Amino acid sequence: MITLGHLLTVSALLFSIGLYAVLAKKNAILILVGIEFMINAAVLNLVAFGRYDAAFYGGQTFALFAIVLAAAAVAVALAIILNVYRHFKSIDPDDINDLKD
Amino acid sequence: MGHLDQIPTSILAALIALLAPLLAFLLSACAGKRIKSGIPATLAMVISLFAAIFVFSKVWEGETIHQQISWFSIGTNEFKVGIVLNNLSAVMLVLVCAIGLPVHVYSSIYMKGDLGIHRYWMYLSLFCFAMLGLVVADGLLLMYMCWELVGFASYLLIGFWFTKAAAAKANKKAFLINRIGDLGFLIGMAIIYAQFQTFDLLTLFGDQGTVKLAVANTWLTYAGIAFFLGAMAKSAQFPFHIWLPDAMEGPTAVSSLLHAATMVAAGVFMLVRISPLFDANVLLLIASIGAFTAFMAATIALTQQDLKKILAFSTISQLGFMMVAIGIGQFGVAIFHLITHAFFKCLLFLSAGAVIHEMHHLKEKHKLDIDAQDLRNMGGLRRYMPWTYRLTVVAALALAGLPLTAGYLSKDAILIYAFEWSEWHSGFWKVIPISLLITSALTAFYIARLVFKVFFGKLRLNRLFRKQFHVHEAPKGMLYPMVFLAIGSLFFLYSYNPLIFEDSWLLTGFGITESLQRVNIYHTVVPAAVNGLSIVVIFIAWRWYARRKYPIRKLSGVWYQFSEKQWYGNSVYELVMVRGVLWLSYVLYAVDRLVVDTAVNCAATIVRGLGDLSRWLDRYIVDALVNGLGSLSFKFGGILRGPTKGRIQYYMLSMFVVLLVVLLLGLRFF
Repeated sequence: MITLGHLLTVSALLFSIGLYAVLAKKNAILILVGIEFMINAAVLNLVAFGRYDAAFYGGQTFALFAIVLAAAAVAVALAIILNVYRHFKSIDPDDINDLKD
Repeated sequence: MGHLDQIPTSILAALIALLAPLLAFLLSACAGKRIKSGIPATLAMVISLFAAIFVFSKVWEGETIHQQISWFSIGTNEFKVGIVLNNLSAVMLVLVCAIGLPVHVYSSIYMKGDLGIHRYWMYLSLFCFAMLGLVVADGLLLMYMCWELVGFASYLLIGFWFTKAAAAKANKKAFLINRIGDLGFLIGMAIIYAQFQTFDLLTLFGDQGTVKLAVANTWLTYAGIAFFLGAMAKSAQFPFHIWLPDAMEGPTAVSSLLHAATMVAAGVFMLVRISPLFDANVLLLIASIGAFTAFMAATIALTQQDLKKILAFSTISQLGFMMVAIGIGQFGVAIFHLITHAFFKCLLFLSAGAVIHEMHHLKEKHKLDIDAQDLRNMGGLRRYMPWTYRLTVVAALALAGLPLTAGYLSKDAILIYAFEWSEWHSGFWKVIPISLLITSALTAFYIARLVFKVFFGKLRLNRLFRKQFHVHEAPKGMLYPMVFLAIGSLFFLYSYNPLIFEDSWLLTGFGITESLQRVNIYHTVVPAAVNGLSIVVIFIAWRWYARRKYPIRKLSGVWYQFSEKQWYGNSVYELVMVRGVLWLSYVLYAVDRLVVDTAVNCAATIVRGLGDLSRWLDRYIVDALVNGLGSLSFKFGGILRGPTKGRIQYYMLSMFVVLLVVLLLGLRFF
């Protein structure tokens, strides 16, 4: 039987992988992928805890919203990355340091 | 004040008389150059005259009518404003209008073509309004305002030809001297208010007024002296007489108004209005100054060569007579003389104006370089200007005080009462009636000299320029007002008996009947003496000036010079006042420079030093501290961020680590 513990473990793994990708990858697209991992870990948590709200399915509903928001965020983020590339000719976050003093 | 139907008609009429010139003034003031004709102003005077006559017919010998409204209040003291109509104000109301109207008519010819004519009418209306207001005012405060307004309007009119330096100086002088008098009025008013807490004339000076009931008090004496100071300046009494001769710089028509009914009359009127205030000492002072002024001005008038100057000094002298009348307690007589004098002096000025007008024409026509007012250029005008001549003679006889004229009645009244009065005083005070007697003889002489020099003999210009000149008669528009005034200078307006002033209705109207009986010998002797003297003196003048048997060859004699230079009055003022003030201001200037400026500069230097010091402190200590801290933390921050500069993933990693540490610590300790 799949318990809440299993679900949370998978979610934690997903989150850690996402965090690692965000912190370590030298490619903005892969950082974006990492962010998606983390969002999905959160969505999985919502669904996992949603079992305790059998009357209204608040967790599941909220998960749907989060997925839609994540999709929108991806669209915006990809557009930003595209513009960054046009401007800097690079998507390595280390090269994008014009805001430093 | 309630509704319109509750106001007595006489008050309404007085208001109309008062407001008509004001409206004319406002109209002229608003319209500016567009109104050049004198019709609005003259019309206003006509309305005022009719209204004044109506008021007079209602009020004369009747009840005093008093109407007032609340004006403003300061604290709990309420100030009222209103109109009081009694014998005095009614008769003055008529007088001002009756003198004002002929002057307006005369001016319309005399001032024709003047560039500033629109201003002229405006000022004239203001002048008449101010004087009418003064006459009917029911309180000292309103009276004072009108008093000031009269002074201001006269200032404007004297300086009417302000481009002439002399006129500008003359009006300044008149204004300054009058300010001294105004100060007297103000002080007097303040004392009265402090003593009685009211400005109301009837409450103060009425028959049952507080002043009459008040115990004698030094403050009241001071108040009397202060008010007299005001009257001295306004009515040109020694030593404040010096502005009046200079005031001749204004147009002649203005001089006639100023000398007859408006400006100088204000002082005498005011003294009569507040007469219960004066105690014996103040009255004695008034009489002495009046008598001295009368005598002094008459002696000056003897030798002046300027036509208008002679008349100016004559006015000062006659005002002295009025002051004596007040000083001896005969207030009604003072007003009586004021009225008769207004008529004949106005007439004299208007005739002089006509003569000057024609002389001026002659000067313009032939481009002569002469003074149109100088007696030495005139002579023989009788043949050219017969009507002006006749009218002048009427006025001159009135001034000299010969029988059948109005001047005879009023002047003899003053002289007789002066003699009676001296009976009650110690022998020394005989000097006042005697000096008046001498003065009236001098009056006869100087006015005879004027008439003979102007109208008799031959025109001196003919001899000066070896040419035949022809002078015209004055225009009709100037003659008619003069005829009107000449009627006022004769006896029948005032008394049916030309020889005895006691029958005059004007005097009985002022309620002094008990002393009007011909109680003693003076009533017969004095008129005889005065007239005998006058006739002798006029005969001498005729021999000297008309027959050209002039006895004085040397014009540089001490006494002659003393008189011609006007008793050196102006020089004394120049020496004492002008130089004194200049010297004082030099001293003050030096003190200012040496003491005040130095102190101020020292203080400024000290403050600047302090400022420099605090700037240094601010910059090098306070600022340095703050900046030092700032740069220290800036450097510290620089060291800390060192290699991670601008690398976003390191920021995130460190954020994550910090978050983790916080979380762990939180788990561990809470």
